[in-house]
Amino acid sequence: METLSNLAFGLGIALSWQNILYCFIGCFLGTLVGVLPGIGPVATVAMLLPFTFGLEPAPALIMLAGIYYGAQYGGSTTAILVNIPGESSSVVTTLDGHQMARRGRAGPALGIAAIGSFIAGCIATLVVAFFAPPLAEIALKFGPADYFSLMVFGLVAAVVLARGSLLKAIAMVCFGILLGLIGTDVNSGVIRFAFGWPELTDGIGFVALAMAFFGITDVIFNLEHKEKQEVFTSRIGSVLPTAEDLRACAGSIARGTTLGAILGILPGGGALLASFAAYMVEKKVARPPRMFGQGDIRGVAAPESANNAGAQTSFIPMLTLGIPSNPTMALMIGALMIQGIAPGPQVMTERPELFWGLIASMWIGNLMLLVLNLPLVGLWVKLLAVPYRLLFPAIFVFCCIGVYTVDNKIFDIYEIAALSAVGYVLLKLDCEPAPMVLGFILGPMMEENLRRTMMISFGDPSVFFTRPISAAFLIAAVLLLLVIALPSLRAKREEAMQE
Amino acid sequence: MCIRSPKDFWAGLIFIAIGSGFILLAQQYRLGDLHRMGPAMFPTLVGALLAALGAVVALRSFVLVGAAVPRFYAGPIGVSVLAIVLFGIALQWLGLVAAVAVLVLVGAQASREVRLLETLALAAVMIAFSVAVFVWLLGLPLPLWPDS
Repeated sequence: METLSNLAFGLGIALSWQNILYCFIGCFLGTLVGVLPGIGPVATVAMLLPFTFGLEPAPALIMLAGIYYGAQYGGSTTAILVNIPGESSSVVTTLDGHQMARRGRAGPALGIAAIGSFIAGCIATLVVAFFAPPLAEIALKFGPADYFSLMVFGLVAAVVLARGSLLKAIAMVCFGILLGLIGTDVNSGVIRFAFGWPELTDGIGFVALAMAFFGITDVIFNLEHKEKQEVFTSRIGSVLPTAEDLRACAGSIARGTTLGAILGILPGGGALLASFAAYMVEKKVARPPRMFGQGDIRGVAAPESANNAGAQTSFIPMLTLGIPSNPTMALMIGALMIQGIAPGPQVMTERPELFWGLIASMWIGNLMLLVLNLPLVGLWVKLLAVPYRLLFPAIFVFCCIGVYTVDNKIFDIYEIAALSAVGYVLLKLDCEPAPMVLGFILGPMMEENLRRTMMISFGDPSVFFTRPISAAFLIAAVLLLLVIALPSLRAKREEAMQE
Repeated sequence: MCIRSPKDFWAGLIFIAIGSGFILLAQQYRLGDLHRMGPAMFPTLVGALLAALGAVVALRSFVLVGAAVPRFYAGPIGVSVLAIVLFGIALQWLGLVAAVAVLVLVGAQASREVRLLETLALAAVMIAFSVAVFVWLLGLPLPLWPDS
């Protein structure tokens, strides 16, 4: 069993005291920031990025992954106790989770979320360990045309799964691609769209973009819609679910994990789609269909397991293809690049310690979350009692210092200010930022691969259809678009997004 | 003829503007041909796609009924952007301590519930925290005070 020996190798790396420490710090900080209402994993990872700059690549990546899981879990805590999803993937958790809190069962809700997440995380880690290497093998055979088509497919899939208007989402992808092209053109050395500003030679900073669109604009929207929040901080009680709870949830956790693990691999899927799908399936499948929406513990267990499994398996496209499936993974790629590593299938063979260390640390991270969250729930709850007027200036401070320390460029701070204004207007017009961020990351790679393809084919675009892999991706992309354009399915999709 | 979906209408116009803006800007670079694409080729293609999508979205807004554009509150966004810009200026000339102070004191005004004493205390805490964590603990190269 090569995979098992590789996993053991990875465990050896992840279990060095130093990496365990970083994994712990990552989980802790991630939960700490993720608990704060209105801060999702993207903003959390972006804000905490500076903490990893001084580290070697492997510990840095392990810590970032810890931050990601922590943020994910922290969001669920907020969802259950405050009824404000810290991020979109815990929206469904608010449905039953908050109802449980109102009935004085906040403790078990938090407990089952942690237990479900842990089980899902363990299984998803194995999925990653078994599926990533063969995928990377295949990916090594990809030519530039295949890569280009894969990226087109990835962007289309991300758009189809995004909320809101399809056309606007595609337009946002294009806008992101164009923003990504700002800076020096690798092929010709020409500096494009920089308006003569030397600071833009390296392009717009990805961290600035992510913080502006997912951090600052979110804060501003929260400030505009100030609603009275119901926080259940007084009576959490025991976080341990009863034996009956556990029995009821076993099936839900299994179903949620399976769905999450599958959906997480899809580009644009990840945690968000996984949690929605799991909740809907649970509502249909669970027997007896007792009282979903009124505090059914299975309504917490299923989406929480699913979003954790999805969060985990969304590492697969990132690790094997170097292609992010969601904005958080895009940030991870950004972090790898800061560390001087080009993400892609070669990482597994060239930097096995990074690859297997990360996979093993996923499991350790999940264990840590369980150990960390159950006893520390009281601490997280206290954080929720901090009024927002004190929290948001602190968020500003973290964002500004964070974005500056990426490159030590003052200009990046002005960038974040400008991009926040742009993001504010676009969000007001219901233009989703997630497709744009993916376009931003993939844009330069797409251009590069397109140019290479055309160079090799002497300007004949038909290669995209004659190479089997490339053709398959393009056909899949077209099919996805057609399917979503069909009126009946469209109505279903809107219904699903409404819930 | 009237606009039935104002959000889409304005979003469409913005997309058209961005798309054509990039196309125009790209014209100063070499276009090349399909075999050897110049730096202007890809941006022109994507810009054209964006402008076309924008046109469809804008035209569709005359037919499909959609939501009105929500109110823009100048306060929070204006104050936040101002605070961040001031942070940049202060960090460059005055160092981290002054920059964090400015960011917190100005940024806090974005909320209607701001209280003076509380904000001052928060600024002090944030200064202490960022100096201790970012500069001392993480050793990030941030200037603390103005260059003398």
